[in-house]
Amino acid sequence: MQQLLSAFGIDWRLLIAQAVNFGVVIGALWYFLYKPVLAMLAKRQEVIAKGVEDAAHAQAALAGADTEASARVAAADTEAERIVSAAREAGDAEKTRLLKEAEARAVAVAKDAEDRAKEVAARAKRESEKEITRLAILAAEKLLKKHYD
Amino acid sequence: MQGGISVVLKAEQLGSVFGFPITNALVMTWAVMLLLIGFAFFFGRSLSLVPTKLQSAVEWAFEGALAYMTEVLESKKLARRFFPLVASIFLFIAIANELEFFPGVGSFGLVHATNFLPLLRTPTTDLNFTLALAMISFFTIEITGIATLGFFKYVGKYVNLKSPIGFVVGLIEFISNLGRLISFSFRLFGNIFAGEVMVLVADYFLPYFLPAPLMGFEMFIGFVQALVFAMLTLFFIKLAITEPHGAH
Repeated sequence: MQQLLSAFGIDWRLLIAQAVNFGVVIGALWYFLYKPVLAMLAKRQEVIAKGVEDAAHAQAALAGADTEASARVAAADTEAERIVSAAREAGDAEKTRLLKEAEARAVAVAKDAEDRAKEVAARAKRESEKEITRLAILAAEKLLKKHYD
Repeated sequence: MQGGISVVLKAEQLGSVFGFPITNALVMTWAVMLLLIGFAFFFGRSLSLVPTKLQSAVEWAFEGALAYMTEVLESKKLARRFFPLVASIFLFIAIANELEFFPGVGSFGLVHATNFLPLLRTPTTDLNFTLALAMISFFTIEITGIATLGFFKYVGKYVNLKSPIGFVVGLIEFISNLGRLISFSFRLFGNIFAGEVMVLVADYFLPYFLPAPLMGFEMFIGFVQALVFAMLTLFFIKLAITEPHGAH
């Protein structure tokens, strides 16, 4: 047995040294390599999962936003139609009022003009009568004067 | 080559520090450690959420290995617990084996008297290295088995007094379990050492042509042996934590 161990160079001190060497390697690799790489893999998995979750949330939010935008546009359309309709009604009422007022004013103007025409005619008549009377008197005077002369 | 082929079964001692022998395999082990730890240190610091090609490759390997271990052990928690051990066994052996034919390994050395002492020798061609790893693997497997199943249930796998056949099967299992220490260490040692000898022989008989393809093949063998050692450790852990037959 001793010869066998000697032939292969088996030495318990070297055995322990190699075991310690492997211990150092496993410890260093665990600390410098395995731990950071596994942590990086876990972190990336976490980031990807979060990204997928965020995308799903964003998609849901986008769908919600679309619905809300559609509802708002519909409400705005209804409001606009109501405002236009109200404005049209108000315009029609104003138009009617203005027309009535204009008609009333036209009637008043016409009546005023008629009254004035009547007054002018009456005055002309009165002046004509006065002139005729004066001319008649004048003619009578001439006739009388001619007769008595 | 004038002196013929010289094959040395054990790692050569370069010197000693306070009576502790420093062999060329030990020096090479430290070099491999330095490479691995250096890479891990700089790589670990350069990680980013948007990975580079190298980081993507490493992450792909990690995820693949973890997924496979989870499938074998049927537990994500156990896979994460044993991942550092299995991955380190693979990396340590693989890097050591892949450096086997690098310039300088086995060719740079000291001339002591008339003998040439290479400064670097592949650690897996030193039984101290492979046996140390085998022992670590063996004790991890046994301790995991006992911790998971409990001492008596685990021992019950090997000591079965219910029937003569059960007793014999238990005994065979116990011996084969102990045999793992030898199979683990000698499989790795034998494969890599034999590869080196084969390249040495090829270099002696047909230099310039034969060694290069053989070196490529041996590098492949080195990778496979690292994989075999790591995978067997994983499978034996699975066997150790599996309930014995008839326990349900």
